[in-house]
Amino acid sequence: MRKDEMFDTKKKKVALDVTNLKNFVYDMDHCIKCKGCYWVEHTYMPGVQFSVRCPSNYWNDFDAYGAFGKMRIGLGINDGKLEWTDKLLEIIYADPLCGACDVGCKRNLDLEIGLTLEALRIKAVQDGAGPMPAHKKVAKNIAAKHNQFGSPHENRRKWATKDVKIADKADTVYFVGCSASYVNPEIAKATAKVLNACGKKFMLLPDEWCCGNTLYSVGMIDEARELAKRNIEAVKKTGAKTLVVSCAEGYRMWKADYPKLLNIATADLGFEIVHLIEVADEALKKGALKLTKPVDCRLTYHDSCGVSRLCDPWTPWSGERGWMGMVSPPLKRRRGTTGLYAQSRNILSAIPGAKFVEMPRTRENAFCCGAGRGAKEAFPDLASVSANHRLEEVKSVSAEALVSACPWCKSNFGQAVKENGDNIQVMDIAEIISASL
Amino acid sequence: MSIQKQAYNALESAVGAKYFSDDPAICEGYRSGPGGYESGLGYERVMTTIPSAVVMPKTTEEVQKVVKICNRYKVPYVPYSTGFYGPRSHCHVENELLIDLKRLNSFEIDEKHFSINVGSGVIYSPIQQEAMNKGAYVIIGGGGAQASAIANLIGDGWSPLSHRIGLPHRRILGTELVLPDGELVKMGSLADGADPFWGDGPGPDLRGLLRGFTGLRGCLGIVTKMAIKTLPFQPEPLVPTGIAPNTALALPPKRVKWVNYQMPNKAAQVKAMFEIGKAEIAAAVTKVPLFWRAIAKAECKEEFWEIWGKETEESIKNFFIVRVLLVGYTSEEQMQYDENVLNDIMTELGGIARPTKPSDESWIKNADSAGMWLMCGSYVSVDYIIESLSQATQHGESYADLKRKYTPPLMPDNGDPGWFQSFELGHQGYSEFLVYWDQDEDTTGVDHFYLETAKMNIKERFYTSLLGPHQPLYLTGPMYGPNYHEWLLKVKNAFDPLWVCHPPTPLAHDDFVDRAKWMKPLKDWESPKKLPMPKW
Repeated sequence: MRKDEMFDTKKKKVALDVTNLKNFVYDMDHCIKCKGCYWVEHTYMPGVQFSVRCPSNYWNDFDAYGAFGKMRIGLGINDGKLEWTDKLLEIIYADPLCGACDVGCKRNLDLEIGLTLEALRIKAVQDGAGPMPAHKKVAKNIAAKHNQFGSPHENRRKWATKDVKIADKADTVYFVGCSASYVNPEIAKATAKVLNACGKKFMLLPDEWCCGNTLYSVGMIDEARELAKRNIEAVKKTGAKTLVVSCAEGYRMWKADYPKLLNIATADLGFEIVHLIEVADEALKKGALKLTKPVDCRLTYHDSCGVSRLCDPWTPWSGERGWMGMVSPPLKRRRGTTGLYAQSRNILSAIPGAKFVEMPRTRENAFCCGAGRGAKEAFPDLASVSANHRLEEVKSVSAEALVSACPWCKSNFGQAVKENGDNIQVMDIAEIISASL
Repeated sequence: MSIQKQAYNALESAVGAKYFSDDPAICEGYRSGPGGYESGLGYERVMTTIPSAVVMPKTTEEVQKVVKICNRYKVPYVPYSTGFYGPRSHCHVENELLIDLKRLNSFEIDEKHFSINVGSGVIYSPIQQEAMNKGAYVIIGGGGAQASAIANLIGDGWSPLSHRIGLPHRRILGTELVLPDGELVKMGSLADGADPFWGDGPGPDLRGLLRGFTGLRGCLGIVTKMAIKTLPFQPEPLVPTGIAPNTALALPPKRVKWVNYQMPNKAAQVKAMFEIGKAEIAAAVTKVPLFWRAIAKAECKEEFWEIWGKETEESIKNFFIVRVLLVGYTSEEQMQYDENVLNDIMTELGGIARPTKPSDESWIKNADSAGMWLMCGSYVSVDYIIESLSQATQHGESYADLKRKYTPPLMPDNGDPGWFQSFELGHQGYSEFLVYWDQDEDTTGVDHFYLETAKMNIKERFYTSLLGPHQPLYLTGPMYGPNYHEWLLKVKNAFDPLWVCHPPTPLAHDDFVDRAKWMKPLKDWESPKKLPMPKW
């Protein structure tokens, strides 16, 4: 007798569909409270000082704010036992959905923690309780001005000065994103210069709109889906084969969440999604990008979540769950293993004059800046606490500069440094590459 | 009825509003199950509930204040450090306060005298890293890298490294205990403020009451601080490598090495453990269940079952592995000496060295017990014993026989006799029997199996660890004493006359059997009609 024939387990239909929380009941049910989602993975555990990786549970110590608490709360919501209250909304939304819990859990278990947290927010919106007022304001801005900040749409290309070469027609589109277009134009400009230096001809979308990251992240799935369709169509119209981004949040959105929203695979988007760090790393290896100007600085790198543990490609999956919780057809789980961990490190190590040092928590164990996915808009204190905690780590390795590959990280760290009067320079990787050209 | 308002106000004042909550969502986050260690079973469904409120003290003084308030207003409470130990560390009665100890996270290391001093919220893996940074090490207990060191040491605390480092209670050098009524007791070196050196006294040593063999799950007070001995390790770094889930510590080959030996039969397997102990070599000597190898190889549960599905009763019956960890504590030469002696022993006994990865994924820093849930989704170590090597190595076989009767719902494992190893250089043997099931199946059989193991241990005269709150006290007490149950209840009544501290422990499993009707057919022992404890 085969082992599974000893049991008469009924098969249940299941899909990786975040619009229905019931798809994740198994995952919520089977959380074992090991707290691998909260602590840095034991192999890489640096010691007592920087031992955690969950910004939400670092901000508020009650178990409810860790993924293990949210799994139990999620079951309560699914069963209709918990009513939506301000506290419950805080628990669900005071979280940058950075994916640390998801990769932590998937080291040992096969639970879809990240998707469950997304499904909980979608459920909050479906029930008329979410999102938070600050998110509604962002949604209003996007609807009216096509950007998250409510800035005039016509200012989107203001960063594009004459000293950067932008083609009218190219195989590559640079999708700038709201933050680099309006708040951090220096990143957009530096990105363009680096692409120029790599010999990568690029164009811009004729009329770029917000990627919809915040909308998707807070559970406003219908609005996010409309933007996804519109933006994908806009890229397809250009005939480009590659879309390059300089924003980690945008990278994750295009690469994983657009396909998720449209129930297609990343490979079926019709064009490739790359981040600037992939372009620069490849150009560096081929000798097309030459970093010659010394940058006299001791620097460290912050792995932005969207280019690390959250960016594995998406493949739709639906099937059945049966004996011992096994699923069929086979499911290749997203564990954050294809994150862009090496590229930035290769680049930073190649900058002449610079001394690159690692922080205690790196790659899939990195501590998020706390700004992403609607967290800073609704819970600025969480974003501030997270950034300050990470900056303590920067100081612990005596770094003079903190480099990341995401404008949201730069803004959040930059604000914290300014408020504290810290002597740390916060830079995007595009800027430091550009400075070394 | 919830906790009365006066108690609520007093508790909030004791710790500050930020660290006290009775919000339903906050309390729901402290639910025991349905997943987790020993969860998804009858005990968890019948005996646990969510707290009525949660409090998070920061200091021993705050813990004392909270406990005194609980006594004043008759509020039952449960101490909680990381919550990993399943239903038995969660609220059992209505209107109960959960005292979350994670903010007691003080840590000091005394490099010169080889000891650490930790609070209840400090877990193992950072302790091990801090120790290794100073040329020392501790054991990461089987409870896992993410378990509270204090909770683990007053419960279990052993691992394969116990071959050399010994049993956990020998490493407790000082304890600070808030008694169930809020009074503070300091034991061992923490009592006289000396450098941590002496775990016993002054006066009567209460560690036995606190810890016993595998602990009383917090029903005799709250340990807020502990001084723990560390031991000298070798100086080379163990380098973390890989991206999760494929991470490991790369071992310095001349100082740390795992070697797996395939032995010709069980007798040679046990003899090898004896001989290694007699020669006083090695850091760990262990035999693990074969399916752990499948867990290590598999990326997901489907792959595990594909690998494990190929094994048969025959292949398990003929699997005689001895896994040895060599450490050059003092020098490369010492490591070479150990390896030469080991090779001589194995040559004599017919052991064949198998290729072994030059890395550690499981024991030095990890105790990766979360992997135990991969295959089925549910798990508990149903028993562990410390006996002589010759007895311990027989223990698992009797379990395997009993287990057949309850498979399904237990995981089909081809009669694997579990895990055993050498402790204290072969002077003791350790056996642990782990069972796995899917909590979505009918788990009545697992509840029955759990209780039947106590009866089997009594019958076969194994000194089981899971007494007290782990099994019905009126079943095990008369058989292991003959009045262990009376003694334990006297201790409980003396220290906690109100039974505010984690009720109804240590009568929790008796209560479960009384309340769960599917357990009734198994009850063939005497117990009072009404259990001798206050009703909450």
